[in-house]
Amino acid sequence: MNGLIYRNLKIYFSDKSGIFFSLMGAMISFVLYLIFLSQNMIHSWSSVPDTKLLLDPWLIGGTMTITAITTTLSSLSLMVQDREKNVLADLNLTDISFLGIQFSYLITAMIVGVVMQLIMYFMMSGYFLIADKSALNLQLLPQILGIAILSSFIWTIFNLLLLSFAKKVDTLGKIATIVGTASGFLAGVYMPIGVLPTSVQNVMKYTPALYNTAMYRNVLMQSQLQASFKNLPSNIANEFKETMGISVKLNQHVLTIQQDMLIIVAFAVVITLLVILISKISRRVVISKE
Amino acid sequence: MKLLQTTSLTKKFGNHTAVNNISLTINQGEMVALLGPNGAGKSTTINMLIGVLQPTSGEIIFGEKATNINDYRSEIGVVFQNSVLDEKLTVKDNMMLRAKMYSRPVIVQSLIEKFELESIWKQPYGSLSGGQRRRVDIARALISSPKLLFLDEPSTGLDIQTRTKIWEILDQLRKETGLTIIFTTHYLEESENADYVYIVDQGKVIAEDTVWGLQKKYTKNILQLTYTNGTSQTMTIDNKDDAIKILSEKGPLISDFEYRPGTMDDVFMNLTGKEIR
Ligand SMILES: Nc1ncnc2c1ncn2[C@@H]1O[C@H](COP(=O)(O)OP(=O)(O)OP(=O)(O)O)[C@@H](O)[C@H]1O
Ligand SMILES: [Mg+2]
Repeated sequence: MNGLIYRNLKIYFSDKSGIFFSLMGAMISFVLYLIFLSQNMIHSWSSVPDTKLLLDPWLIGGTMTITAITTTLSSLSLMVQDREKNVLADLNLTDISFLGIQFSYLITAMIVGVVMQLIMYFMMSGYFLIADKSALNLQLLPQILGIAILSSFIWTIFNLLLLSFAKKVDTLGKIATIVGTASGFLAGVYMPIGVLPTSVQNVMKYTPALYNTAMYRNVLMQSQLQASFKNLPSNIANEFKETMGISVKLNQHVLTIQQDMLIIVAFAVVITLLVILISKISRRVVISKE
Repeated sequence: MKLLQTTSLTKKFGNHTAVNNISLTINQGEMVALLGPNGAGKSTTINMLIGVLQPTSGEIIFGEKATNINDYRSEIGVVFQNSVLDEKLTVKDNMMLRAKMYSRPVIVQSLIEKFELESIWKQPYGSLSGGQRRRVDIARALISSPKLLFLDEPSTGLDIQTRTKIWEILDQLRKETGLTIIFTTHYLEESENADYVYIVDQGKVIAEDTVWGLQKKYTKNILQLTYTNGTSQTMTIDNKDDAIKILSEKGPLISDFEYRPGTMDDVFMNLTGKEIR
């Protein structure tokens, strides 16, 4: 199985343009932020001190979620390509079992997701360190790594579900475009969740993206939140957190980071069951043989 | 000794029958050709034999009794009609990573020598010429030292030198290892390399025999005369006495002659009433 995972990783990392396009969603959110989002938001939260230092990690958090979504999808697409090009038939002749082959794709996508999230994290933090003197707190690294692994996991499974409906390679491009665009909205990066209509907010609560971003933001913004809001009433701090999607409010209850995590795990369980169900009732599925 | 046998193998796609009741027997150490025009069902047959497609009906028996691809998967190597190696990876990566996917020990070094891969070893597979690709494809198929090698149109699109080269290597392999080979082709002259030929058309075996047997059965012998004045004449004559008679009558006028069985082209023509290409 190692040989196959190496191969899959090598294919992903040797395709420079593929990597570029799989980071497109993340780059759009970054550029949008630099051009006007940050100005807008600094303006609307002018009562809060050091808004810029608060918003930089906010942006990083959302962009990390987008990265997890799009890079795992890009890596997992190899599964569909391999089947269409008969590579799967060739792999089947090796000593790796059919299940082993399928797991290799999943493991590859998870590794790709974690690596790309960490790369994006250091690139963005590096940029803000230079541009805004935003501190880079390396003590957060274990937590960031933990969240990166969790998000890689959930999005790999989520994308497996999406690819269950893609039999042809040309469908892949369309799926990638839709996912790339949607992820920025669903993760609450292109626009803070609080400024959207309630109905849209409710839709966003049905994907793991929101909770994923909230986890990242909780960790990344924690110290600056304390610093910025220490002289302000707590209701302003709460309002900020809810509007900006740092804490998700579900049925009048404000979720903690542990609860965000549990919800993501619950999503993982449900999606896994769906994938299994679909592979049972439909032949048009990535993980079926014919 | 029988190595692979199929009985009434059939594959239907919807209501189109791609392979219709094909029975094959492949003996250990033989080189067997499946010859047929585009769409005859050659690839479909191979795909059933290698476990990519499930037959609609019929049976495949490998060796003594294995009837399930899982029981003989490890004994076969396959060169697919379309390449299955990774364009962006080097020949080295392609070969070494595939080698890692086997849990048994594999020997890559001898394949590098045999297929002259040294000079292209570090080159991305996608940048290779057609002939170089084919050499890598075949080397890949042999990584697991299979007993039986399938080649689906190994030489389509290759020039004559490259084709000859590939057949030389395969011949050498057969001599050294007793490899059994099944290949498909629509080059008639290529089927003349085979010990036994199945001619397939529209999903059915329309004739099978050794090359010599087919020529004997489905063609008339050809007598070609070259006259002293430089002109030549070709006639089909299936009786050696007639030929001798003509030769002795025209003896003084001819500078040379050839008396031979019909070619595989003639076999195909006579069987189907059409040219293969
Ligand atoms: N997956 C499929 N679904 C439907 N029809 C198919 C499928 N695969 C093959 N066929 C049909 O079965 C017939 C035989 O195809 P096959 O690929 O076996 O031919 P072939 O002899 O290998 O031809 P070629 O020399 O062009 O490779 C063709 O008519 C083809 O269209
Ligand atoms: Mg074919």
